[in-house]
Amino acid sequence: MSAQPKAASNAPKEVGKPIAVPVQASRVRFSPDGKVLAVACFDAKARRYDVSGKEPAELPALGEHNGWLSALAFGEERLFTADSWGRLSAWDGATRAWTVEAAHDGWLRALAVTKAHVFTCGRDGFVRAWSAADGKKIAEFDAKADVLSLCASESTLFAGDLFGTVRTFELPALKPGRAFEVKEFYKLDRIQDVGGVKCLALSPNGKSLFAGGAEPKGGGFVECTPLLVAFDLASGKRTSQWKGANPAEGFVTDLAPHADGRVLFTTSGQPGQGKLHVWKPGDATTSFSGGKLPNCHSVALHPNGEVAAVSATNANSSGNGRVKGTGGDYPNNASPVQMWKV
Amino acid sequence: MLCTPGEHRVTRRKFLGASAGAVGLGALANPAVADELKKQRRQVLFVWLDGGMSQLESWDPKPNTPFGGPFRSIQTSVPGVRVSELLPQCAKQMHRLALVRSVSTQDNSHSAGVDRIQRGDPKNRGVTYPYFGSAVAKLVGAGDSGLPPYVWVKPMSGGFIYKHAGFLGPKFGALALGDGKPPENLLRPKDLSAEADDERNELRKLLDKEYAANRRPELTEANTHAFEMAAQLQKKIELFDLSKLPQKDQDRYGSHDLGRHLLLARRLLEAGVTFVKVTSYGWDTHGDHFNGAASLHPKFDKPFAAILEDLADRGMLDNVLVIACAEFGRTPRINGHIGRDHWPEAWSVAMAGRGIKRGVVAGRTNDTGTDVATDPVDIGGLFHTWFRALGVNPEEVQYRNAGQPLPIAHDDMKPVSEVLA
Repeated sequence: MSAQPKAASNAPKEVGKPIAVPVQASRVRFSPDGKVLAVACFDAKARRYDVSGKEPAELPALGEHNGWLSALAFGEERLFTADSWGRLSAWDGATRAWTVEAAHDGWLRALAVTKAHVFTCGRDGFVRAWSAADGKKIAEFDAKADVLSLCASESTLFAGDLFGTVRTFELPALKPGRAFEVKEFYKLDRIQDVGGVKCLALSPNGKSLFAGGAEPKGGGFVECTPLLVAFDLASGKRTSQWKGANPAEGFVTDLAPHADGRVLFTTSGQPGQGKLHVWKPGDATTSFSGGKLPNCHSVALHPNGEVAAVSATNANSSGNGRVKGTGGDYPNNASPVQMWKV
Repeated sequence: MLCTPGEHRVTRRKFLGASAGAVGLGALANPAVADELKKQRRQVLFVWLDGGMSQLESWDPKPNTPFGGPFRSIQTSVPGVRVSELLPQCAKQMHRLALVRSVSTQDNSHSAGVDRIQRGDPKNRGVTYPYFGSAVAKLVGAGDSGLPPYVWVKPMSGGFIYKHAGFLGPKFGALALGDGKPPENLLRPKDLSAEADDERNELRKLLDKEYAANRRPELTEANTHAFEMAAQLQKKIELFDLSKLPQKDQDRYGSHDLGRHLLLARRLLEAGVTFVKVTSYGWDTHGDHFNGAASLHPKFDKPFAAILEDLADRGMLDNVLVIACAEFGRTPRINGHIGRDHWPEAWSVAMAGRGIKRGVVAGRTNDTGTDVATDPVDIGGLFHTWFRALGVNPEEVQYRNAGQPLPIAHDDMKPVSEVLA
C-alpha cells in the first residue's frame, strides 16, 4: 500500500509561526473550551498557552512533577498530568487539586479521561482507574506487560501494550473484555523488544477504534514503517489500514480523529523524518502528508474542528559527539508547536 | 623487563608446598595442588555491549536534569552511590563493583571506535596492537586449564578470529563460539574410531605442512592453531550443555542470548579459561532509545549481577577481573527520534574482581552529564588499570615484536589509582 498522498484542494495549511516550546514534548492537547493548549514537556512541566487571541500567550507552567511529563489529558473541568516517575496530578487552572505520588511504579505511560474517572497505565504493567474528583483509586488490572496507550468511551477503556494487543475493559471496574491484535506492531530483535501500540483513539461516532504504531524492522536505530489500523468495534474486525513507505519513517505517534471522518495523525522516525498526515479510513493513501517541521510527536484537534496543533522537533536534531550551539554551548532539542488550519 | 613465560608458572616453592605428600605426577591430581593452581589463576570476564550503552540510563544517572531522561535513580548497596532504576540487580552488587564515571575517549564512530577501544588506543608505532583479550592471552598465558586462553562468546557465527591478535601472531587470536555453541563438527563422529580419527589427523597435519611450505607462516599458523584449540575444547565438551545446570541458575541469568552467554562464561571461567569475552549486539539506540533501554538494560542487569554474585560465592572474584564496557556512551542530547547518538566525551565503565577496589566510584561528570568534571580517563588509562589489576605492570613489561620493544599500554597514560586495590 503506497504512502504517497493524493493532491487535495482542502489540504491542511500551516498557520502563523510555531509556538517556541523551549524543550522537547510528548503530547499536546486543547482544553474542552478550546482556549488553552497544554504541552507535556521533557522537563517535567506542563506548559500552557492561551490560544484564544490572535497570538498564543504563555500561561504559568504547571510543575511539581519529575522526570518527563509523559501524559496529559483534559477532563470536562480539570487537566490531568502524569510523569515518568509515576506521579498523577489533577489541576484546576494553575492550582493543584490532588496528587497521587506513586500512581504507578515508574513510567506512567498514558492517560484517558471520562466524566467521572481518569485512567492510567504504566511500565509496571498495571492499568488503573481513579476518581477524577479526588484521586481515589477505584480499580486496577495487572496486564503483566508494559502498557503504552489508552483511550476511553464512557463505558469502555482500551489499553494497548508493547506486544501489539489492545485489551478492552468495562468501566469503571476494569472488568476485562475482548482484545484486538496488531501483531505487526511488535518485534523481538536480538534481545530488544521493539514497538508496541503507541497510540489509540476512538472515532467521534464511537464506531471505530484506531491503533497507531509501526512495523519494526530492527532494534537499536529502530527502523520501522509507520502503521495505522482501523477496527470496527461492533464486529471486532480490522477494516482498513495505512502503512508508510519505508522503515526510516518511524512510528505513528498520535491520533486525532475528526468528526467529518478523517483521521489526523503524526509520524516520527529517523531525525528529519515525520509529518502530519490526513487519512480517510478505507483509502489506500493519505490525502495529505506534510509539514515544514520534522519528527512530529503529537497532534491535537481544536474543539471547533478547524484547527490542529502539531508538536514537532527542530531540524538537525541528531548528531554523534559534541554538537555545538551558536554560542558554543551544548544545546538541547526542542518541540515547536505548529498550528494548522485543517 | 620483558615478559617471560616463567612469570606464568607456579613457583617451585608453592608447587612443592601444595603437593607435599604427593608423589611425582600424581601430585597434579591432588586436590590441594589443584586448589593452589586455581588460586593463582588470573582471569578476565570482558562484557562488551556493542553499539554503546547509555551511561545516563545505567552507571551515571542524572535524573531531573535537562538530559536526564524519564528514569529514576536508585540507591545501591553502597551508601551515596546511585545508579539507574534499570539496573536494580547491579545496584545490589555495587559493594563489589568499581565505577569509572570520567571515561573520555577519542572516537565517535563504531568502525574505528571498537578497534581503538579494544586495542587500548596506544601511540601509533606502525603496528597493529592486539585486542585486550589477545594481550591477556599473551601476557598472562593459558594457565592450567588446558583450554584456549581467549574465548569469545557471541551471537551469530563463530570461528577463529586471528585478527584480534595483531602483531602478537595468530595463536593469540580469539576462539569465537557463535551463539555460545562449540565449533561445528568438534566431536568425533560416533561411527569413526579413535584410531581412525588419529590417522586422519596425522594426514591433515602432513597436508597442512605441505600447504604451509609455500605460504606466509602467520596464515598457516592460525589454521593449525585453530585445530589445536578445537581439540582442546573437545575434551571439555560438557561445558556447553547448560541444560544440566539447575533451573534456578538458568532463571537468574535469563533465557535470552546475553543471559545464556554469561552463564556459559561462568562455566568457562570455572574451567579455567584465562579471558572470556561476551558480546551483546544491538545497543546502538539512535531511535526510541528509552523504550529500548527499558528492554535492553534489564537483560544486562540480571545476568551481570548474577555472575558477580556467583563468582563471589565461589571465591573467584579474587582471581577474575570483570569489566563491562563498550566503544562509547550515548549523547546527553535526545534526537527527534527520541534516541541518543554516539558520545565518547563523558561515559562510564564498570569493573570488579581481581585487583579492583570494591564499592568505589572514580571520577565524575558535571551536573548535566555533558562533560567530565574530573581528570578524564582515556582507554589507555583503563588498559594500565586492568593490566595492573592482573599483576602485569606496564612500567616493567613490554611486548617485543621482531626485536622492537613496544609498551603494552599507552606510554603517556596512568592507571586509575582510585579503583586499584
